[in-house]
Amino acid sequence: MSTSTEFCLEWEPINKDEWRGVWVFTEIFDNEISEASLQLLNPGRMIADKIGTELVSIMIGDKVQKHLLEPIYYGADKVIYVEDERLAVYTPEVYGETLLALIRKYKPEIVLAAGTLRGREMIPYVANSLRAGITADCTDFDVDVKTRDLIMIRPPFGATLLAYIRAPERRPQMSTVRPNVFKLPKRDESRKGEIIREYVDIPKPRIELVHSEYIKTEEIPIEKAEIIVSGGRGLGSAEGFKLLEKLANLIEGVVAGSRKAVDAGWIPHERQVGQTGKSVKASLYIAVGISGAAQHLFGIREAVTVVAINIDPDAPIFENADYGIVGDYKVIIPALIEEIERRKNVKKTDNKQSLQR
Amino acid sequence: MGLNMIVAVKWVPNTQIVNIDPTTGTLIREGIPSIVNPHDLNAVELALRLKEKYGGTVTAISMAPPAARAGLEFIMGMGVDRAILITDKVFAGADTLATSYTLAKAIEKLKPYDLLIFGHETIDSSTAHIGAQVASWLKIPYIYYVIDTEYRDGYIFAKRRLEKKIEIYKLPIPCLIAVAMRSNEPRPIKLEYKLRVKLENPLEVWTNNELQLSRACIGLRGSPTRVEKAVPTPTIPRKKMKYEGQDVKEAVKWLVDKLLEEGLKII
Ligand SMILES: Cc1cc2nc3c(=O)[nH]c(=O)nc-3n(C[C@H](O)[C@H](O)[C@H](O)COP(=O)(O)OP(=O)(O)OC[C@H]3O[C@@H](n4cnc5c(N)ncnc54)[C@H](O)[C@@H]3O)c2cc1C
Ligand SMILES: Nc1ncnc2c1ncn2[C@@H]1O[C@H](COP(=O)(O)O)[C@@H](O)[C@H]1O
Repeated sequence: MSTSTEFCLEWEPINKDEWRGVWVFTEIFDNEISEASLQLLNPGRMIADKIGTELVSIMIGDKVQKHLLEPIYYGADKVIYVEDERLAVYTPEVYGETLLALIRKYKPEIVLAAGTLRGREMIPYVANSLRAGITADCTDFDVDVKTRDLIMIRPPFGATLLAYIRAPERRPQMSTVRPNVFKLPKRDESRKGEIIREYVDIPKPRIELVHSEYIKTEEIPIEKAEIIVSGGRGLGSAEGFKLLEKLANLIEGVVAGSRKAVDAGWIPHERQVGQTGKSVKASLYIAVGISGAAQHLFGIREAVTVVAINIDPDAPIFENADYGIVGDYKVIIPALIEEIERRKNVKKTDNKQSLQR
Repeated sequence: MGLNMIVAVKWVPNTQIVNIDPTTGTLIREGIPSIVNPHDLNAVELALRLKEKYGGTVTAISMAPPAARAGLEFIMGMGVDRAILITDKVFAGADTLATSYTLAKAIEKLKPYDLLIFGHETIDSSTAHIGAQVASWLKIPYIYYVIDTEYRDGYIFAKRRLEKKIEIYKLPIPCLIAVAMRSNEPRPIKLEYKLRVKLENPLEVWTNNELQLSRACIGLRGSPTRVEKAVPTPTIPRKKMKYEGQDVKEAVKWLVDKLLEEGLKII
């Protein structure tokens, strides 16, 4: 029979009162700070203020010194960093163990990291070594001031539900955070903070990076785009995307798509919008031939103005858009292109005339 | 010699058709069929291709309620050699820590193994935790987002794709990889393989009698996280203005005017 000890012997006992402070893992890869990890300083600041503790940014890598002030400008009270040439090559284990060593030393009560590809790869490893409660891809947080429990809010089940999760017995409380659901805090170069260099044991890597090459892309990634023209299954073919590209070029936007469009092979997965794709924060999102499923809508929560073009007047997308036109995109989009070109020409002649005057 | 591989597959409600009860805000689970997590089929496919190339064995494991038998039978239909269903009431309510612990302990009983292959993430919980956590319990190296794999001189060469990069990592066996979604085309099932399930019965069921895990480490009790509540995702309020006319020219004029009013620089 299975034994029934009170406490799992695999778990190191902890004293919750020893764990204080809110940490954000500030990810630096390829010599750049990931914007997604600076966004974390937004919920991080809110949580730290509510429970009256400090907000600390953690940076690790082989060259991090030139970035040290950035997290402070964006709201951190303190930066703790490890700079070591053994961190030149990322492996989830080496980076994970480095972060672990810092956590064991300082005992923060909360650790947040961006849900980037690498964040989602290394953070569960770190949480597991600490037997910490961890949640993935959170989109919101709250905090129970009495117990100092972090309420981690995330969408399981294909984004139709938001689950409220806490880890009352364990510290730290860990979470990866979905990129682009929090706005960057205001950057303020007059902010001051403490900077601490740390030296920790860095394990020898067991795995080796034997090849690495950049994929050349000229296109702006959709998470950075201001204007997005997005196509769904309603386009009917890859040809349809040519039309969307024409519109996108005209208004200096980029093309994206729904999962159905990705499944059909009309557009690559990096350009998928939605729960299993990306969240976008465009100022204009034009959804063409997209029905408006919950998982898709999840990716455009931060879009400012949403336009829907759909042949079905009852498509749910209209309920979730600011402006809608019912009709066949094959008719609407060319007409829209024509109208925008016409206005551009009018504007040009206006400008010329005012110059001549 | 070949590769001894273990593929982890999850039995999940088909979230594509999950609905929310609008009055109570709870999940309507009745009548929702479960399926093998689609991204795990990419893991199975990769394992079978590696077996074809290098020889060896493929064992599928799943921790799930008894109904998941159907899922494992499906996987066997694709051609895996052996399947193990880890099922017991005491495992219920597990979060990712307790799930990964239980899976890791089961995998330890399957030693010696060379390569563990996991899916990218599941469509119901979408955490992508379990692979990294199992690697942590077993103290083996791992890598995510793998699109292709080669095996040479005791090393796995895992090719993976990040946003702007292709990387190849060299991992000593035993190791774990998680396969990128859509990285291959999972093969259809074959009747002759499915028949094997009936004839040879290579599908085993393990309960906690086999694993002997402490109750404090598994199921709900072994889970540090607690789901307090779940609410329907609130929708973002939008203007919901629709052009009410038939004239396409007028419609696009209306739209461009509106967008310019919003201050958008489209012309
Ligand atoms: C766990 C999970 C995660 C998911 N993640 C995502 C995700 O990240 N992103 C995502 O997009 N989906 C995701 N989905 C899928 C999602 O549920 C929908 O199936 C998908 O968004 C539908 O894509 P669609 O709107 O392009 O296609 P459909 O739903 O088929 O809609 C096509 C639309 O085109 C319209 N149409 C047809 N012809 C024309 C025409 N000539 N002109 C104009 N309109 C036309 C139709 O009226 C219809 O509304 C996920 C699902 C699950 C279960
Ligand atoms: N209950 C389970 N049984 C077997 N494998 C699982 C289970 N849960 C998750 N996995 C594996 O872990 C991967 C990641 O799952 P998740 O962390 O739930 O997104 C899945 O694609 C499966 O390969």
